[in-house]
Amino acid sequence: MKILIPLKQVPDSTVRVKVAPDGKRIAADGITWSISPYDEYAIEMALERKDSDPSTIVAVVTVGPARSRDALRQALAMGCDEASLVLAEEEVAPLAVARALAKVVQDAKPDLVLCGKQASDDDQGFVGPALAEVLGWAHVSTITKVVVSEGAAELWREVEGGHEVWKATLPALATVHKSEKEPRYPSLPGIMKAKKKEIPERPFASLGIDANAPKLEIVSLEPPPARGGGKILKDGDAKALAERLATSLRDEAKVL
Amino acid sequence: MAVTAAEAGFDLTLSDEQELAQRAARDFASEKVLPLAAEIDEQGKIPPALLAEMGALGFMGAYVPERYGGSGLDTVSYILIVEEINRACASTGVVLSSHLSLAIEPILEYGTVAQKEHFLPAMARGERIGCFALSEPASGSDAAAMRTSARRDGDSWVLNGTKNFITNGSLSDVAVVFAQTDPAKRHKGIAAFIVEKGTAGFSVGKLEKKLGIRGSDTAQLIFADCRVPAANLLGEVGDGFKIALSTLDGGRISIAAQAVGIARACLEDSLGYAKEREAFGKKIAEFQAIQWMLADMATEIDAARLLTWRAASLKDAGQDHILAAAEAKLFASDVAVKAARDCVQIFGGYGYLKDFPAERHYRDAKITEIYEGTSEIMKLVIAEEILKE
Repeated sequence: MKILIPLKQVPDSTVRVKVAPDGKRIAADGITWSISPYDEYAIEMALERKDSDPSTIVAVVTVGPARSRDALRQALAMGCDEASLVLAEEEVAPLAVARALAKVVQDAKPDLVLCGKQASDDDQGFVGPALAEVLGWAHVSTITKVVVSEGAAELWREVEGGHEVWKATLPALATVHKSEKEPRYPSLPGIMKAKKKEIPERPFASLGIDANAPKLEIVSLEPPPARGGGKILKDGDAKALAERLATSLRDEAKVL
Repeated sequence: MAVTAAEAGFDLTLSDEQELAQRAARDFASEKVLPLAAEIDEQGKIPPALLAEMGALGFMGAYVPERYGGSGLDTVSYILIVEEINRACASTGVVLSSHLSLAIEPILEYGTVAQKEHFLPAMARGERIGCFALSEPASGSDAAAMRTSARRDGDSWVLNGTKNFITNGSLSDVAVVFAQTDPAKRHKGIAAFIVEKGTAGFSVGKLEKKLGIRGSDTAQLIFADCRVPAANLLGEVGDGFKIALSTLDGGRISIAAQAVGIARACLEDSLGYAKEREAFGKKIAEFQAIQWMLADMATEIDAARLLTWRAASLKDAGQDHILAAAEAKLFASDVAVKAARDCVQIFGGYGYLKDFPAERHYRDAKITEIYEGTSEIMKLVIAEEILKE
């Protein structure tokens, strides 16, 4: 079977993000880029399936600028078989990303598409379900486990106090909340194998999709306000301190 | 048109593979090694599962060619990995360096095809760990004065003697052992042998208790009428001294990288602490006294790293790297010791406590000025190289 994972390259979780001078985007200078963590879980889930059935083909794709090749290379080094890039140097609206990925899916013909449940940069969680809609495929969100058998997939979701098991006929799409194991590190032999693989690319413009439809615009971005210093209540017995604490919580912090 | 650095013939940009290797090692080191570093130091032992994972990721055979079961990367990639592992834990770092630079390297460089095919695949996967047995109780820097003897007897060599300060000594399954076949010939009588654990007459003596790198085992190896098959002679009789010295030339590059890793740990930990700790109403990072120490550390670490990368790239290019490796090790080890001293100073009283990593860096850094050629030997090597014209 073939599993396709659309991934997104995002600022690494260790990066302290700064707002660019125009106030509409983050400053890209000096950022370390990584595969979005939920996409890594999706890759790990697919590779675990490949570990138990080596005939499984695991492919990754991304819609993004040239630098996102590094994320694809890393996915290959983790053990994925194929990677391809839809090159778009400018920002592409989320629905247009889903439409572009649908074209890739139609060409690649995977049995299962696994997406991270959301990208860690904008956290919209939009592209996975939208891709299923564009394709007209069954879709199950935030899964933690997949069991494939005879043209269908059991998709496990964690719910309050237990889990649900959904069954979908293939092809299907699921968004991944977590894999059973932590995502693997790229091994050095994996890095050398990845080096030898071609990463075919096609320009977004060649797909005949409007990158700005429907148009979404970020009006402004601002960092959260700096945290003020804490306040320590001293001097007084427990009753007096409790009264002052309650007053502070009500009148100053406004949480009561 | 602007000329890129690469076109100008001077390029410090890492290749895609080098960057991926560095990143894999950095993620592994910070997530898997660093959380164990204090315990490894305290217990004097590295969990075998950690070394097994390093083996599975290909670190233990980083630059061994793929045809011998290795990862097939270059020396620069290996050096990047060594820095990352040592930034997390110098004990774990030296297991890797000794195994690859000192035990695998001479087999790779001087072994026959049969020896390489027999020994390297399991070593490259980290399933069998290697060590390098040169030093003796009475001969360290003066290696030619060794007393361990090798006597030919039929299809075997019979080894007798004691080796000291052997890193990975008790952990190892394969030892590259140097012995004297004819004392009258001094260094021209020395031969190198590959000796496997379990060979009759080969045993591990006492384990040393050390100031730093406490998780790495340092053992005495004892050879008592130890019969080694003649097929395990590495190179020719009389090649031993050359094999030892050339192996150490390369090994110094990875010790330089270890020193850079330890120094970087000092800098990163110092930066973190200086930005948190307050004195006289402000963060200590705002005091110039602290800033100067941090600035010196950062500058010296960059310089040490550049020397180390240069030595590694010369080795990759198959060029003479004796001078470059000695300079890198001399400088980087000095940088590590100074960075560790300043790190403890920045942490102040807390730097002296086991609760913080500064004192471990201080103890770990010192060894880099001693093993694989002391700083004094490095200066002899450098002087000899620059005076020989």
